[in-house]
Amino acid sequence: MKPSHVRDPYWMLLPTLLLLFVFFVFPLAMLVKHSLFSWDLLTPARYVGLGNYRSLWRSGELWQTFGTTLSMSSAVVLGSMAAGLALALLLDRPGPWAAFVRSAVFSAYVVSWVSVGLLFLWLLDADSGILAGVWRIFWHGRAPRWLADPALAPWAVAAVTIWKITGYALVIFLSGLQDVPLSILEAAELDGASKARRFACVTWPLLRPTSLFVATTSLIASFQLFDVVRVMTQGGPVRSTTVFVYAIYEQLFLDLRVGRASAEAVVFFGILLLLTGAQFLLFRTEESP
Amino acid sequence: MIPRREFLRTGAAAASSLLGACAVDSVPKGRTPVSLWFSYGGTNREVLESLVQRFNGSQTRDFVQAVYQGDYFEGLAKLRTAIAARCAPVLSHVVGEVVPYLAEAGVLEPLLDYPGVRELDLIPELSQERSWLGGGARPLCALPFNRSTPIAYLNGDLFAQAGLAAPRTWDELRAVAKRLSEPKAGGRFGFGCPINWWFWVALVGQAGGSLVAENGRISLGDAAGVRALRFWQELVRDGLMKPPPGRDYNAWEQCNQDFLSGRAAMIWSSTAFLKYLETHARFKLIAAPLPADVKHAVPTGGTFWVVLRGAPSAEKAAAVRFLRFMHEPEQVIAWSTRTGYIPVTRPAVRALEQRGYYAAHPNDRVALEQLAVAEPWPWSVDLFRIQREIVQPRLESAVIEQRDASAILAEARALLLEPT
Repeated sequence: MKPSHVRDPYWMLLPTLLLLFVFFVFPLAMLVKHSLFSWDLLTPARYVGLGNYRSLWRSGELWQTFGTTLSMSSAVVLGSMAAGLALALLLDRPGPWAAFVRSAVFSAYVVSWVSVGLLFLWLLDADSGILAGVWRIFWHGRAPRWLADPALAPWAVAAVTIWKITGYALVIFLSGLQDVPLSILEAAELDGASKARRFACVTWPLLRPTSLFVATTSLIASFQLFDVVRVMTQGGPVRSTTVFVYAIYEQLFLDLRVGRASAEAVVFFGILLLLTGAQFLLFRTEESP
Repeated sequence: MIPRREFLRTGAAAASSLLGACAVDSVPKGRTPVSLWFSYGGTNREVLESLVQRFNGSQTRDFVQAVYQGDYFEGLAKLRTAIAARCAPVLSHVVGEVVPYLAEAGVLEPLLDYPGVRELDLIPELSQERSWLGGGARPLCALPFNRSTPIAYLNGDLFAQAGLAAPRTWDELRAVAKRLSEPKAGGRFGFGCPINWWFWVALVGQAGGSLVAENGRISLGDAAGVRALRFWQELVRDGLMKPPPGRDYNAWEQCNQDFLSGRAAMIWSSTAFLKYLETHARFKLIAAPLPADVKHAVPTGGTFWVVLRGAPSAEKAAAVRFLRFMHEPEQVIAWSTRTGYIPVTRPAVRALEQRGYYAAHPNDRVALEQLAVAEPWPWSVDLFRIQREIVQPRLESAVIEQRDASAILAEARALLLEPT
């Protein structure tokens, strides 16, 4: 279709472009600008150049937050993928029970993060939680303080996140499994391949694009972890669960440092941009013949 | 099938009723609106709202609209954002640590020249005069509201069974905590205390130090600061004290729950929780003053009323009239006896004494009497930053990870010298 006037498509795109500019481009530009100032909202902003970035770098806060986010995200991605794939392989069959379990697992995904956080806060209570009760039955001692020990808290929060998002991985893997041609599997079976061999040599290679999709979307989602941290640990103990988004929230809304929070947000934006770029490249490589 | 017009009409009606349910009372015609942002939940919120209703019903000139804004820190963040956006309320209340900063930023209205303010017979330790070093010499910009001190709460039944009395010194606290600790599975801790800067400041004072040296340098207590931190570290290391999980008020709430469920025999918390704990404890609750190391000392806490300078003059005057009402003995008494906060005016305390309230409720007297050893805060614009960014995270690190107290406070002092 040829437009009657060369400018017509641009007029039609204008509302969308306007929205994009007002809600994405302009705030992003303001973010970069604020990151160059020291500002507390009340007293006049003071230009500090790259001072906020330097201070984040020197204090080690940036690396610590990045390390925490990366380790928790890695655990979440690997855990949710492994659990999602295992459940998909188990539940990729007809019948009411499989359907019921599929729905049950996926239901966690649609529950709000705040509810999940509160639920697990209770379950993981080191004194009166169900898990502590089970621990006492088998090990007869004080249960580990899952949320109060800096060595355990990040993994406890990661485990809760895995529980929450496994349903998503399950659904995507199920759709991927249903795309695996039965004819190839049958041919492998006729050739005498065992179940494990069929999975390793047929199913898994054909699931690679699906796994890549699950991995990248879960990684980006886990990088944006906030609600569950806010509800369960508030970034503690000893900053052990202070992930990027929580660190930005803390700087901005609790410590009221607009400049430093903006600098942290700019760095975070850069990391997400890199991840998205990597995802784009990987998909392109996968799709190319 | 519902016609489109009918569907829209029903939807609009539902939405408007929903919005109506969320909205605060509208201002009656001819009355001056006073928007008040507050940060209380639970009983405190109910009491405040009942007092606001009492004010609105007691006269026809002003009308207070009270809006909940989250906890202290969330409320403060919203307040600062609203000030920057020039849509702040006329009245709010803020934690003491942030008052010097807001005052020096020039966003608080000086209150002394408003009618009736000079006549408020405030308790000096709870008012601006003695809550800060040199607070009396500065323009009055904060009036006390919910003011508190840390106190000890004891499980009276456990103490009676063990034949123990409230500890008066740190050594006694250690001994009592040891006697009442049951380290086996699902057992009890002798002592519980949030790892929070407020309690550490109390310990620093008790160890004979203060946050500010005589020459005005922020010293974080020097040797006393280290001694205070080591006291906590030893109690935790020996399994006598439970540092509750969570940060800020989450840890306080957890500490209260540990006490109520019998998992901690004795806790330090704010007098603000007195009525809540008395109501929910299934054992005899005893409140006691904090013990001494080389001396007795407590910081004061809670919030102050502040009127925002940028509001219209008529609204500021109306806000001050509301504050005068809130400082009348009946309101001060209602607030303090229903929550546990300390009454902030002398006439209210005299009235309570005359009515025999303290004789019948000895727990309520503890915080009031502790004011004799209350220590003022430094008037520092950096106080809030020192609390939240520099000291608080390091306290957690020192106690939970058992890092060297001396090194960690030296690190905190070094950070104080860095440009903000």
